[in-house]
Amino acid sequence: MSDYILRIKEVSKSFSGIKALDNIHFDLKKGEVHALMGENGAGKSTFMKILIGLVAPDSGEILLEGESLIGSNVNETLKKGISMIHQEILIIPELTVAQNIFLGRERAVSGKRGMLSGWLNDKEINQRGAVLLDKMGVNIAPNAKMKHLSVAQMQMVEIAKAISNNAKVIIMDEPTSAISDKEVATLFKIIHDLKAQGVSIIYISHKMDEIFRISDTITVLRDGKYVGTKSATELDQNALIAMMVGREIDRMFPETTQPVGQEVLSVQNLGRAGKFSNISFNVKAGEIVGLAGLMGAGRTEIARAIFGLDQWDEGEIMIKKIPLRARTPREAIDRGIGYVSEDRKGLGFIPQMSVKDNITLSSINYHRKGGFIDTHSEQSVTDKMIADLKIKTAGAGQQVTYLSGGNQQKVVIGRVLLASPELIILDEPTRGVDVGAKFEIYKLIRGLADQGMAIIMISSELPEILGLSDRILVLSKGKQTAMLSKAEATQELIMRYAVEG
Amino acid sequence: MKRNGIFATIIATALFASCNQSSDKESGEDKLVIGATMLSMQNEFIVNVSDAMEAKAKEMGVELITVDAERSALKQVEQVESFISQGVDAIIMNPCEVEASSPAIKLAMDAKIPIINVNSETSAKPTAFVGSDDTESARIAMKYIAEKLGGKGNVLMMHGFMGQAAQIKRDNGAKEILKANRGLKLLAEQSGEWDRAKGMSLTENWIQSYGDKINAIFAQNDEMGMGAVKALEAAGLKNKVLVVSVDAIPDALQAVKKGTLDATVFQNAKEQGGKAIETAVKAAKKEAFEQEVLIPFRLVTKGNVEEFLK
Amino acid sequence: MNRFSKLGQYGIFLAFALICLVLAFSTPKFFTLSNLLIIGNQVSINALLAFGVTFVIITGGIDLSLGSMVAVAGVVAATFAHPDTYPLIVPLLVGLGAGSAIGAFNGLVTTKSKVPPFIVTLGTMTIGRGLALIFSKGRPISNLSDEFNFIGGGNIAGIPFPIIILILAFAVCSVVLNKTVLGRYIYAVGGNEPAALASGIRVSRVKMWVYTICGLLSGLGGILLTSRITTGQPNAGAGFELDAIAAAIIGGTSTSGGTGTMTGTLIGALLIGVISNSLDLLNVTSYYQQVVMGVIIIGAVVLDGIGKKD
Repeated sequence: MSDYILRIKEVSKSFSGIKALDNIHFDLKKGEVHALMGENGAGKSTFMKILIGLVAPDSGEILLEGESLIGSNVNETLKKGISMIHQEILIIPELTVAQNIFLGRERAVSGKRGMLSGWLNDKEINQRGAVLLDKMGVNIAPNAKMKHLSVAQMQMVEIAKAISNNAKVIIMDEPTSAISDKEVATLFKIIHDLKAQGVSIIYISHKMDEIFRISDTITVLRDGKYVGTKSATELDQNALIAMMVGREIDRMFPETTQPVGQEVLSVQNLGRAGKFSNISFNVKAGEIVGLAGLMGAGRTEIARAIFGLDQWDEGEIMIKKIPLRARTPREAIDRGIGYVSEDRKGLGFIPQMSVKDNITLSSINYHRKGGFIDTHSEQSVTDKMIADLKIKTAGAGQQVTYLSGGNQQKVVIGRVLLASPELIILDEPTRGVDVGAKFEIYKLIRGLADQGMAIIMISSELPEILGLSDRILVLSKGKQTAMLSKAEATQELIMRYAVEG
Repeated sequence: MKRNGIFATIIATALFASCNQSSDKESGEDKLVIGATMLSMQNEFIVNVSDAMEAKAKEMGVELITVDAERSALKQVEQVESFISQGVDAIIMNPCEVEASSPAIKLAMDAKIPIINVNSETSAKPTAFVGSDDTESARIAMKYIAEKLGGKGNVLMMHGFMGQAAQIKRDNGAKEILKANRGLKLLAEQSGEWDRAKGMSLTENWIQSYGDKINAIFAQNDEMGMGAVKALEAAGLKNKVLVVSVDAIPDALQAVKKGTLDATVFQNAKEQGGKAIETAVKAAKKEAFEQEVLIPFRLVTKGNVEEFLK
Repeated sequence: MNRFSKLGQYGIFLAFALICLVLAFSTPKFFTLSNLLIIGNQVSINALLAFGVTFVIITGGIDLSLGSMVAVAGVVAATFAHPDTYPLIVPLLVGLGAGSAIGAFNGLVTTKSKVPPFIVTLGTMTIGRGLALIFSKGRPISNLSDEFNFIGGGNIAGIPFPIIILILAFAVCSVVLNKTVLGRYIYAVGGNEPAALASGIRVSRVKMWVYTICGLLSGLGGILLTSRITTGQPNAGAGFELDAIAAAIIGGTSTSGGTGTMTGTLIGALLIGVISNSLDLLNVTSYYQQVVMGVIIIGAVVLDGIGKKD
């Protein structure tokens, strides 16, 4: 019994009548990494909010080393030893590393008493910060300004802060979402060290391979319910996905038998100074061309140039044999191009607007009666699109912000489709989308191609590229290094071309 | 970069302009230069004073540099500083504020440049003062009201911007007369911020509150007085309520002629501007001058309004 | 638009109703037909400006030049509104045109230069004030025709004409915002400008439109004000931008863009008007009026925020 540091029993929570969490169990051993898995909306974030004292549960029990945490607020749970490393890192950029670590505890570390404790003691703060960072084995100067740090370094500082708080439990929410592979290795080394010191980690991530690399135990939630807890060695990827989505996924990638048609897009020797050069390829109706390459290979830049978001310096773009140089996205849309951006929040949708208003945004011009919006026809195309794409929403009037990542993505795709494009560029279409919805988006993409649309798909996930594309264009450092057919392409081959040059 | 460019241009222009002025001065050495800083060129009365100064300066053959302090005492002090550094022969200041504009007096005095206050006062004593006593204007207006109402009735008073010298003095003058006439009751007093639209709204609201009880309205300037007249006309009460204000701006004179405004008090902008220049020139030439030139007010009613209309 | 902002709107509506209720019990003069009409009349100009700036704020912009556009439009319209000179349509078109032109200038500079609208309109605020002074030579332009004065001073079937203009403008603005493609684009641009661009919206064109509409409504406000006080005053409208922006924000328009309604803005404007009217009715001293106004504005927005959270 005593090897459990944290025990959570039968925790439930409802928001205005809707059960967000229903009877959740969670036991955390001392010194283990325990992954918490579940699709978006499964209740992970509510669960974490309850754990750190941000939200009070309706019922249930939370025991930290036998002591109840119910009724403790955020500050109290922090003092008792539960720290959370948030996905969006909460730091003060103008302060130094050490000042951030000891933020809110300046009096305690000032080394002075009474009235004098109000005096800042940066020397002491820096010294303590240095010791702490040294012990973690990270090379960050305690007096460096936070704003000069990389995301990974900021994360290390957050962890240092948690350690300095004598955290017994550290919650990490998507810690690797914005850092490089090398930095991930450093992070994992620190996690191992923390384990050795008896600190327990609750690890939340969407990335399957990471979960299996780092965690000892895995607990899965689905639709606010507890599904089960297994040792990581008992599970494989497919079994875990099955637990998460509640069904087996045998075939992720739909096949096609449709033949390809006429050329829709042709790009000749396209170049933009400093971004890419000498790019030539074409896409035919009914065909999916995958754009593979590492970060910064120029894939998104090419897409932006075709869509009129950026200008280019040399070469030619032709849509059905007629040249196009779009200066604004409007011109590209009018010529039948649709673009689903990798940056969904930035370029995809208007958060304050409803599903309906977003879906019709690119095509609302065509739903006019006199000077006014024809609400009747607008509503009917919206309803049809919601049904066609199986968008899960409370209704057409629901604000897009409140949808899950996958459904937001479908809204963006719906908006692009309503402008009746002949060529669709999908840039990382499944980023931040959970497993179940990924599968639906793959089916959707293949379905669009089968209806005769030309499709360019940019993706960093090789299985996705391999599974969906008819042809694969590989880029490296702004140059085209290979055009592979579906038959010849393998992960190894793509990677070889992606690092060439 | 682009922005820096703009700033650089502004600074260069400013430098060039100031060089220009000083070189002007050197070339016309025997010509006296007077710097004038005015409260606000958006105020009609001040514009009239300024125009009178301009005319007088031309007549006397002196060069007049006029700048607008835009109601900011700080700006005014800076303007006086720049006059001093340009080496003008005399300064005329139309003070923004009693206290806050006072440092300008000391600066000029220390630089041994005569400084003349026109129209309103500062707490620091200048070389000379040319203007009228605001307290007196309100006394004249309120006396007229008392006389017309036979010393008995309900009066409303509309203040200017609270805390400004003119508002305080006109308030004092009006209250003096009210005290002396026990039969006059001050129903309410509010600020109309010297503004016509505000004066109009305030009067509309007063009509809602007091209706038939109002016998007279004293507005501390013509703008507000005109607003009061408008509101009363709209409510059909104008013939029952006496409206008197101060300044005798052209609009107000027209209204007096028409009989909609019962009286205004003429403050002589032309005389103030002219005398200010005369005094400044005398002081600059070290001739004898009066330290306090008080230009008298005159009550304007339908009977004598023709005199004031040009 | 959605459940949440609707609730928010109820919040401000409740606050408004509550304040009206308290006032109705505080003074019997508040809740009378004639007083309500007067409030409507007094509110009309600020409401017009607030409608205009609501469009701008929803796109994520701001317009500080409202008051100056009022002055320019007023002065220019007055120039053409003397009796027996031009038909009524001329001063109206010229006034509206002047406002729209300055608005279009704001839009052009904002979209072409990428200078933030706060700075651009701060510049036009000063430019506009200067233009008004230049056109009027610093003096009020009076002696306007009766037809022109009817706009701000007349009434139809007992309803003041400004209230009729207010209702019409409200209807038109609401329709533009809710029923037209432009309205949809306005929300989209303010909600997420890059996404709006990527959705094929010509963002610059939308911004040009909102600033021009804002100028047009300010021009209308300027005509109304000039007609109400029967003079075109170069210093009219100073500070109006703050009241208009306050009305929009009290009414739930978010300064970060993407949300806001005309109904909310109307209530915001009414709230400000009701407070200022009732403080006069209750004869609250000028000094306290400003404090009370500030407290009530903050209180209303706080109450609105509570409504949004649930």
